[in-house]
Amino acid sequence: MTFTLNLTGSDLLLMLPEIILTLWLCGVLIVDFAMPKLPKEQLAYLSVCGLAIVLANLVWFDVKGVSGTLFTNMFVLDRMALFFKILVVGATMLVILASRDYVQRFRFFKGEYYFLVLMSALGMMFMASANDLLSMFITLEFSTFGFYVLVAYLREDVASNEAGLKFFILGVFAAGLLAYGISLVYGETGKILFPEIAATAWTPGLVIGFLLIFASLGFKIGAVPFHSWIPDTYHGAPTPITAFLSIAPKAAAFAILLRLFFVSLAALKPAWVLLLVGVSILSMTYGNIVAIAQKNIKRLLAYSGIAQIGNILIGLAAGTKMGEDAILFYLLTYLFANLGAFAVVIAVSNLIRSDEIEDYSGLNRRSPFLAFAMLVFLLSLAGVPPLAGFIGKLYIFLAAIKQELYTLIIVGLVNIVISMYYYLIIVKKMYINEPTDRSPLVVSPSMQAVIYVGLAGTLILGIYPKPFIEWVVAATLMFSNLAPAAAVVPSVLPFGG
Amino acid sequence: MAEYTLLYILFAPFVGSILLLFIPNRRALPVRLVAAGSAFVSLIASLYLFYAYDPAKGGFQFIQKYEWSKELGISFYLGVDGIGTPLVLASSILLFAGIFISWHIKDRIKEFYIFLLVLAAATIGVFMCLDLFFLYFFYEMSVLPMYLLLGMWGSHTKNYLAMTSPEEREKRDSVGFIFNFGSNSKEYAAMKLVLFLSAGAVLALMGILLIYKFSGLNTFDILVLREQAKFSGPLATLIWLLIFFGFASIAPIWPLHSWSPVGHAAAPAATSMLHAGVLMKLGHFSIIRVAFEILPQTTRELMPIAAILCVFSIMYGGFVAYYAKDTKYVIGYSSSSHMGYVFLGMAALDYISLSGAVLYMFAHAMATGMLFAMAGWVYDQTHTRDIPSLGGLVNRMPFIASCFIIACMASIGMPGTVNFIAEVMIIVGSWNKYPFQVIVAVVGIVLTMAYLLRMMRGIFYGPTVEQYSHAHDAVGWVDRMPLLLMIATSIFFGIFPGHFYNIIRSGVDPLIARITEVVPLKTDGQTNNKLSAVSYQPSAQRSEGHKLSADR
Repeated sequence: MTFTLNLTGSDLLLMLPEIILTLWLCGVLIVDFAMPKLPKEQLAYLSVCGLAIVLANLVWFDVKGVSGTLFTNMFVLDRMALFFKILVVGATMLVILASRDYVQRFRFFKGEYYFLVLMSALGMMFMASANDLLSMFITLEFSTFGFYVLVAYLREDVASNEAGLKFFILGVFAAGLLAYGISLVYGETGKILFPEIAATAWTPGLVIGFLLIFASLGFKIGAVPFHSWIPDTYHGAPTPITAFLSIAPKAAAFAILLRLFFVSLAALKPAWVLLLVGVSILSMTYGNIVAIAQKNIKRLLAYSGIAQIGNILIGLAAGTKMGEDAILFYLLTYLFANLGAFAVVIAVSNLIRSDEIEDYSGLNRRSPFLAFAMLVFLLSLAGVPPLAGFIGKLYIFLAAIKQELYTLIIVGLVNIVISMYYYLIIVKKMYINEPTDRSPLVVSPSMQAVIYVGLAGTLILGIYPKPFIEWVVAATLMFSNLAPAAAVVPSVLPFGG
Repeated sequence: MAEYTLLYILFAPFVGSILLLFIPNRRALPVRLVAAGSAFVSLIASLYLFYAYDPAKGGFQFIQKYEWSKELGISFYLGVDGIGTPLVLASSILLFAGIFISWHIKDRIKEFYIFLLVLAAATIGVFMCLDLFFLYFFYEMSVLPMYLLLGMWGSHTKNYLAMTSPEEREKRDSVGFIFNFGSNSKEYAAMKLVLFLSAGAVLALMGILLIYKFSGLNTFDILVLREQAKFSGPLATLIWLLIFFGFASIAPIWPLHSWSPVGHAAAPAATSMLHAGVLMKLGHFSIIRVAFEILPQTTRELMPIAAILCVFSIMYGGFVAYYAKDTKYVIGYSSSSHMGYVFLGMAALDYISLSGAVLYMFAHAMATGMLFAMAGWVYDQTHTRDIPSLGGLVNRMPFIASCFIIACMASIGMPGTVNFIAEVMIIVGSWNKYPFQVIVAVVGIVLTMAYLLRMMRGIFYGPTVEQYSHAHDAVGWVDRMPLLLMIATSIFFGIFPGHFYNIIRSGVDPLIARITEVVPLKTDGQTNNKLSAVSYQPSAQRSEGHKLSADR
């Protein structure tokens, strides 16, 4: 594929969004230092502006169909990379907007907060383009460094420190595994580019190497059995960072997983399908069952996130283009529903300073808007029509049933019912229980904006997903060799009207 | 204009619920008027639908088809046949009546009407969907509003409320207590309902996914699947069982029924009406639409399962209703008992009996709607559902009492009401195939008479209880109109069932012909504009003189 953007003819322009973001985040840092009088909220808006420019740039690339590779194929820009970049940038915008009020709680380094968030976003944008083992390692670590700091940002809070420490130690361990896995794979094949590795036979070194790499990526996405950092880190981290962690790094890690499994390991599909089936079943079941017992909403969403990842892995296990489309679509629905739910958590936490589920009692009486939004987001996570989550789940199941993964589908369906229980427990608290304190809660405009975006996304993706389905189908065209694409039946109309 | 009738019926309540979002909660009257207005649009459109549906032409009419996702083979495909049309009408009548029945709700009116409208619209959606995906979409969508309606505006049982000491409080909220019959909280009832129905829905979804996979057609279009999908052997049996038990859980057939009376009892009046009146019929309807249409051979082989289970439904429901002391439990169990009749009518796979089953769904919707509406009125006035503590209310509320008598008579199946015709059709139609079940059904009618009259005596007659001397009758038109509407519907179609019968037969005949293979299927897969595939000759059984060109 050749580069077709006719600006100056320089290939470096493929990285234009990343370059803009790099400059912008330096700008944010400089503004923060140079104008100490400036209210820190302005930095939030400044960051959002920058991200909006980047987003516009990405959309423009996507519409124009820009694609190509850089640095001897280390950096690849294709429609899938663009999809994940748009997802990450969109999530970052929402997270920054949602952080505006929360940042008031920090006593120090309010300005650097935005810088760190943008830096992590930059790392994740590079992750979406990583095309060899080295760039995978570098971008993964690059995106995680920001998070190590951000998770421990509430300096006086013991839970936040614990979260940071836990995340750091396990994260570094995962990085070690990744590096070791890369060295083994490189030792066996002598190649580092994903398309060139294209393993055709298992050798012990390759098996161990890929298992280590998978373990490290599994740590990123929080799949069982690599999930142990998730609940404590989610619980202790500042809530906007929890929201950020729950979607953006996972999405970016899926970009790498897709390239790794579908490009490098395509020939060995029967072997890794089993691995993914196991991990998926464990994640769904463990996440959903443990979530039932949670008293803290952040922990509950953490466990529900583990279960959702199990759901997404069904699509990966399907190992077809349709499975991949389903993953992309599911991530979109998950972005809106999960970020929306966390936005409500942030709004409530800003107002009553509590994340306990018990304190959500009677939320409907105190703020009908927040309760309704939470209802929509939770039901979308549970997969209830007409919300986005339902279409996402169904898409995944359709991809899986075409590959005859019956066990996975049955476990997935049973888990829908289990998850319904704990989501409804929150709904019960909000709508049925009476509040102890009846004072109304007033939501700030920036939080309202985030929640409205989440609501709009959840409803539109659920009711009219056609353009989005077409988008994800187009984004994964390069994988159409994986399995025969779904033959579309010509519209059969026995009754002409 | 007229070809969009289905869209009006379906989207009027949705639009109403969206409008309600923008009305402030403290202004009660606009909220009620918007809800009533949107339900009225739906009602008028479905009356038009009912009379504009052409039984001579038969088949699916008022077709609307919009592509929804080409990649997944889903289209938004609406159309009604002779089975869907009466049920659409029943839903919109009950929705309209239900809005007036709940006119006096004070707490969070806006939310109440939003959820009620969404519930009703989703139910209507199922009755007119010709796409498996959307059938499931609306089906699942109708379940969730129930949770909030029960939880927020429902009522606890008497035994539950009586448990006030600390140990009892702990006991009543413990998990082990959930098996205690009749002592349930509304939260428990709501959760049980949603989990049961979701579990059923998930079974059905598995069946739908298997249909999608093994038909190999990459479509959810029921009509295409009906003509072209071929299933046989264990796979067909498996799919059929998944579909049947998945949807029968909402119907509710005997071993899967336990959520239903609990849910009815906890629900506010309008919700019980919709729930017992139309939500339960989603089960029968979906079985007819999916299992009967797509798997006709398997239906013929396996439908005796329903004939066996319906005996338990009828007798078990009847006896429990006889011994229950809670007004809503009596009506709830009577509903699940009466749904056994519908299963009997379906199981016999006969022209008359299946028509009777469809008619019975409509008739039962009206009768049970009235009963729940009045049980709700009595509860609002006395704040109890406990029959032994009530009595002599006829002096306080003569209008309600007389309506209650009519409703009981309708429920029993007195000549003059549409229930009578339906019951007779089921009994006559099933006699050849299932004489034992018919005898049980007749005993069931006697039982119905026993428990309904007993409840009526308990509530309205006997010595007057002083405690309830403040209770008053329904005097305003707002309170009387919905009851009169349902009574009038029930009696009108009891006396003039002609058009109704023609409509139902136009839907039932081709279906039964396919299942019983009066005419073997012709599967040339023609996709011309005509109602294709089966050229259907009138059989000896349907020589009633109706001109039905119900060819599919």
